[in-house]
Amino acid sequence: MHDILSVLSLNLLMSTIRLTTPILLAALAAALCNKAGVLNLAIEGEMLLGSFVAIVVTYCLNKYTPLGVVNPTLSTYLGVVVSILFGGVLGVLMAWLHTKWGVDLVIFSIAFNMLASEITVFLMRAVFHQNGTWTDSSIVQLPTLAGGYNIIVYASWICVIFCMILYRATRFGRHLKAVGEAPEAAASVGISVRNVQYIALIAGGALSTLGGSFLSVGHLTLFTRDMAAGRGWLGNAAALFGFNNPGGTFLASLFFGFADALALRLQNVTKIPPYMIQVMPYVLTLVILGFVSWRAQKNAQKYQL
Amino acid sequence: MKKPKGTYILHVLIPLIAIVLGVAVSFVLIALTGISPIATFRELWKGAFGMTGKVWPLWITLGQSTPLILTGLSAMCAFRVGVFCIAQESQYVFGAIVAAWLGVALSLPSWILIPLVLLCSMAAGALAAEIPALLKVKLGVNEIISSIMVNNISTLVLEYLVAFPMRADAGQKAQSAVLPQKLWLFQFIKGSRWGVSFVIAVLLAVGLYFLLWKTSFGYEVRMVGQSPRFSQYGGVSAGGVTLGMMAISGALAGLAGSMEVLGNYHRIMTGFSSGLGFDGLSVAMLGLSHPLGVFIVAILLAGIRQGAQLGLQINLQVPRELGGVLIALIILFVALENIYKPHVEAWVKRLEGGKTKAAE
Amino acid sequence: MAEIIRFDKLSKYYASTNVQASNEVSFSIEQGEVHAICGENGAGKTTLMRMLFGMETPDSGSLLLDGKPVSFASPSDAISAGIGMVHQHFMIVPSFSVSENIMLGNEQVSHGFLDKQEERNYVRDLSERYGLPIDPDAIASSLPVGLLQRVEILKMLAKKVRILILDEPTAVLTPGEVGPFLHTLTGLAHDGYTILFISHKLQEVLTVADRITVMRKGQVIGTKPSRGTTMEELAMMMVGRPVVLNIQKGPAHPGSVVLKTHDLTYRNSLGVTKLDHVSLSIRAGEVYGVAGVSGNGQEALVNCLSGLNKPTEGSMELEGQDLTNASVRTRRNHGMAQVPEDRIHVGLNMDASVEENLLMGFEHREPFSLHGILQQREMQENAGRMIKAYAIFGASAESPVRMLSGGNMQKVVLARELSSKPRLLIVDQPTRGLDVGSIEFVHRMILSQRDQGVAVLLVSVELEEILSLSDRVGVMYAGRLQGELEGKQITQEAIGMLMVGGSV
Repeated sequence: MHDILSVLSLNLLMSTIRLTTPILLAALAAALCNKAGVLNLAIEGEMLLGSFVAIVVTYCLNKYTPLGVVNPTLSTYLGVVVSILFGGVLGVLMAWLHTKWGVDLVIFSIAFNMLASEITVFLMRAVFHQNGTWTDSSIVQLPTLAGGYNIIVYASWICVIFCMILYRATRFGRHLKAVGEAPEAAASVGISVRNVQYIALIAGGALSTLGGSFLSVGHLTLFTRDMAAGRGWLGNAAALFGFNNPGGTFLASLFFGFADALALRLQNVTKIPPYMIQVMPYVLTLVILGFVSWRAQKNAQKYQL
Repeated sequence: MKKPKGTYILHVLIPLIAIVLGVAVSFVLIALTGISPIATFRELWKGAFGMTGKVWPLWITLGQSTPLILTGLSAMCAFRVGVFCIAQESQYVFGAIVAAWLGVALSLPSWILIPLVLLCSMAAGALAAEIPALLKVKLGVNEIISSIMVNNISTLVLEYLVAFPMRADAGQKAQSAVLPQKLWLFQFIKGSRWGVSFVIAVLLAVGLYFLLWKTSFGYEVRMVGQSPRFSQYGGVSAGGVTLGMMAISGALAGLAGSMEVLGNYHRIMTGFSSGLGFDGLSVAMLGLSHPLGVFIVAILLAGIRQGAQLGLQINLQVPRELGGVLIALIILFVALENIYKPHVEAWVKRLEGGKTKAAE
Repeated sequence: MAEIIRFDKLSKYYASTNVQASNEVSFSIEQGEVHAICGENGAGKTTLMRMLFGMETPDSGSLLLDGKPVSFASPSDAISAGIGMVHQHFMIVPSFSVSENIMLGNEQVSHGFLDKQEERNYVRDLSERYGLPIDPDAIASSLPVGLLQRVEILKMLAKKVRILILDEPTAVLTPGEVGPFLHTLTGLAHDGYTILFISHKLQEVLTVADRITVMRKGQVIGTKPSRGTTMEELAMMMVGRPVVLNIQKGPAHPGSVVLKTHDLTYRNSLGVTKLDHVSLSIRAGEVYGVAGVSGNGQEALVNCLSGLNKPTEGSMELEGQDLTNASVRTRRNHGMAQVPEDRIHVGLNMDASVEENLLMGFEHREPFSLHGILQQREMQENAGRMIKAYAIFGASAESPVRMLSGGNMQKVVLARELSSKPRLLIVDQPTRGLDVGSIEFVHRMILSQRDQGVAVLLVSVELEEILSLSDRVGVMYAGRLQGELEGKQITQEAIGMLMVGGSV
């Protein structure tokens, strides 16, 4: 018993926040797209590519520009920025394929996730000649700012607040909700459903890649195969868990992060297998999914005049 | 949702074009790394279907294709009834767990035990499949997300079991006990992993063809998958048919898992399922959800992975991930079919128009 | 009063359904009047209003607003020009409040953020000014339909439109809500708004409209002031000249009762009564025609009979057997067959062959199935027989059914449904979209079934079809059976009157 209590400490809080951040960013991306009526199943792949792009750009900046000597931290920051932009581009691509060509985003996402996984490892081996993990001494991790966390962590919290303000108090937020819930109603008053969904996918892509860059240069400085390790899917789950609201999504992501952190701590301290705790988020998500879908079914019948 | 149709020429062309495009982009990727694309694909071919050496790569490929055929058939069954279930991995894992457990726990003569183990694995897979199926039929839950959740749960359950209750040795590796040799499925050529399981898979493919196109139940399955409203109007119980077919789907993937344990690895260990489930759905999609297509594509995909492992990695020092990249590219081009389908349709129409003109 | 809108020879042809929806429509609307547009289904009223609201573009002719020609590419254009439309199916966001719904697309913003208090005040002012009381903070999903309609109207008023189009506005209101609603319209007209409303309910139209335009088959029959016009006159204008009967119909020899319903009622989840205590009976060997403008409960009736919906109240029996809550399959096994309204999505599977489409409902019966295994030869022979008997040209057993013409598709449906030797045959809009030859074929089939002793329920919005085939007629209005006619009573005038809510 004493062992278990000793686990609850400041360390646990810090690792919870660390583990929550990428999930939170993925969840915000998923929630935003869900609210706009687009099911984005490519978040896992976007996250992985985000990790890869961030670290590779950082490496290149260090190697081929004076920044490596002068200010390697700046190249890390720039790596993150490029990763965010790359995510936005991915969003544009997905939106374009969907609105112009009618591409089925579900099958596209599955292919995209597969491709992201394989091609990052392929490039890691073909270009950098590393097998499982790649790192380079020149890469500096993001510095810890006041308060004990790096900028991406604070950015994720700001994003939560930003989304809250967006939905409650801006015109665009209202349009986004209308497009997701009743697209014909939105179209009938002149709102462009297409544009809103474009913006949602672009923002979603950017948030996903930001989350990915946290994994590769935010805490450790390395890239491994399948680095996202299912966090993109946990993000999808957390968004559904939190009913696509920023506050709920934050709490759900925190819960998932906490479960992960707790499991790891317990493994070090006691003999309790971490798997029991790690499996909880997935089981609970299934339960919540069932509940949310059941409720949606009941409401859908209401509007069949 | 994409619901592939029968074997009309147009529909066969799409996967073929996707393969060609995938190969083309791979060519470019390889060229960028400085190695000759032609040499690469030659090695890939040799590594996949070559007939040289002590154990022909061709036999290994056929051995590797067995679980792909089965998971491909499993995905096919789900797609045919209109459920885009991608939980084959969970069914595979649960089937494997049951096999690894019963194979060691029970001591019965092999001629009883082997079929018993296989049947129990199929039951485990069927039950696993009903989780996303029931959620969809009764509550309308999106089957893709529920599939991912179940997949993750199954992986964690596997990791737990091999690390603790089923752990065989206190050493480094987390793995279960080796199954007694009498349970090892017969291999045609030692070391190739090609054996009885392949024959069973082929027989099941034939059986599923028969089920889908020659039985009343299969008819109802196809009608529900193609037009649920038509089926409902005609008196078919869409929910019942869906749950029934999903049980078959799960059983097939569960069987794949147990046959890999019995015939190949003879135990389960950490990291046992390495994304095999997703390959299953790729096979079903490329194979147009038809047993013959699944059979051909499963061998093709197994060949690509195997060829990449043997030919590229070992002989050419090209990363074997290129095989995975090629496969992912092909699926991507299938997803993008709406972009080039109109052109293909027009081209086919022109060809057919020319034929009738010539006949006049 | 000054002219505000003029329709000048507007025409619109839909190639996909082969229908001339508007045929040189010309008439004008005066500013500040309440103008009703009446007609049956397919008269062209909705098409005309869609052209006015920018949802369709006319093929030829012109639209004049305040004397100047205009053309609208989208509803936003029409709204900017001062024309608003309240659709039959509300464009509401369920989770939004009344105020948020009304101000959608029209938000009040201060310093970049939404000014919700300002919006609420504005909505409150608006609702008071026009006598449409509503609580700005109520959540839309909790409101009854009558109030939702108020929200739709206020939405348009908030956009400062001068002309308001309403499409069948009283279709979703309870009888108690109709009076206040009509009063509102009069009030709006007094305030200078021009009201255009589409309706087939002549009693309401005569109460509130200043002038009435009647349309039929895409053409304007006439425009009359409501004062001095009677319901009979308008009904006659709506249904048109006497019909030439092409079908030779012998006398009916009805037998025992096959279908009997008692107070069949259906209320949907929004609480709207779609079917209101309908009691009818159909005997073997007679055709019972269900007439009425579409949307008056026919769909609910067919769905309750076929088993797709469970009735809220009431019961039904087929040959004495209570089938009120029976499954679709049970009903079919007891001898019910149905040719559905939507042959493409419900009656057939477009992705399958003719042979497979003919099998639905028979897949477990001999001779097509032996121990669960399909007998291909039987299926093929059956398909061949059907194709010959029903003269389905250009088809073979394996042909994909989507290649067939509309008429041939309907033949496949008929062939299948009739081959079960039903006791009750429900046919719903059986000749919609068909060419003359196919129409004749279907009518002959219906009569031959009736002559063989089948009880036929014919649901149709085509008056000619009802007149030429029915032995008895029941007219649906607002979910009720407004009246039943038999034999000599079945006339165009009588049906017309019942269709619009009158009595004979």
